[in-house]
Amino acid sequence: MSNTNEMQVEFDGIGENEGFARVVVAAFVSQLNPTLEELGDIKVAVSEAVTNAIIHGYEKTRGKVRIHAKLQENRLIIQIMDSGKGIDDVEKAMEPLFTTKPEEERSGMGFSFMEAFTDELKVESRPGEGTTVTMVKVMGAGNGSDDRID
Amino acid sequence: MEYELKLDQEWLWIGLPTELDHFQAEQIRKAVKDKMQERYIKYVIFDFERTSLMDSSGIGLIAGRYRELAVRGGQVYVSNVHDRMKKVLTLSGLYRIVTPWEQVMVSESENN
Repeated sequence: MSNTNEMQVEFDGIGENEGFARVVVAAFVSQLNPTLEELGDIKVAVSEAVTNAIIHGYEKTRGKVRIHAKLQENRLIIQIMDSGKGIDDVEKAMEPLFTTKPEEERSGMGFSFMEAFTDELKVESRPGEGTTVTMVKVMGAGNGSDDRID
Repeated sequence: MEYELKLDQEWLWIGLPTELDHFQAEQIRKAVKDKMQERYIKYVIFDFERTSLMDSSGIGLIAGRYRELAVRGGQVYVSNVHDRMKKVLTLSGLYRIVTPWEQVMVSESENN
């Protein structure tokens, strides 16, 4: 409620922008003085979600990826959204090692990494409409914090 | 920093870039494929010296090379893995299929 700060950015869903997305979020969250480890965790989590939007959401087509980030006291709440094809079975997609693209050498660990490197993860998807990944990272909590939003 | 490849007989050394994401992993995968067509490669070393970020795309890249080399009796090594990268490698379970290069060097010197 008090001390909040928000930003939003939209870019083309192409591989070249994966690094850009990481840097933008890292720069935004730097106001909370994250540790190097926290910053690294956030960058990996962002990288995973943006990569998913590009290769699974949009596949061979090109679309926009939107990032909405919010700082609230000591936490970063980040949403990564695409308007791609969506996920039919979110629960299945989140299983470790599950991938629809083994031929592209996808490891099936994207969601596991997002889960491991943030404090909270929520995936909402509608087939044909797109996917929104929401992650919360609490600064100064270390890993495995059970702090929750609202 | 960009990636680098060096060939030495049956060995391929891959100097990984600063950030190993999906975009970089794709470039490296293509380049390695070309090298492996050009030459018979049995051993690959992934050098993390300059690398400070790796996501699951990097895991796919390394596991993919393991699958290719295992069938010809080859092996995959990782070298100069910083603590940060160690966390990612451990989490992925990749240490079950790759060997830290430094470990090989230690056992070599013990044998001599």
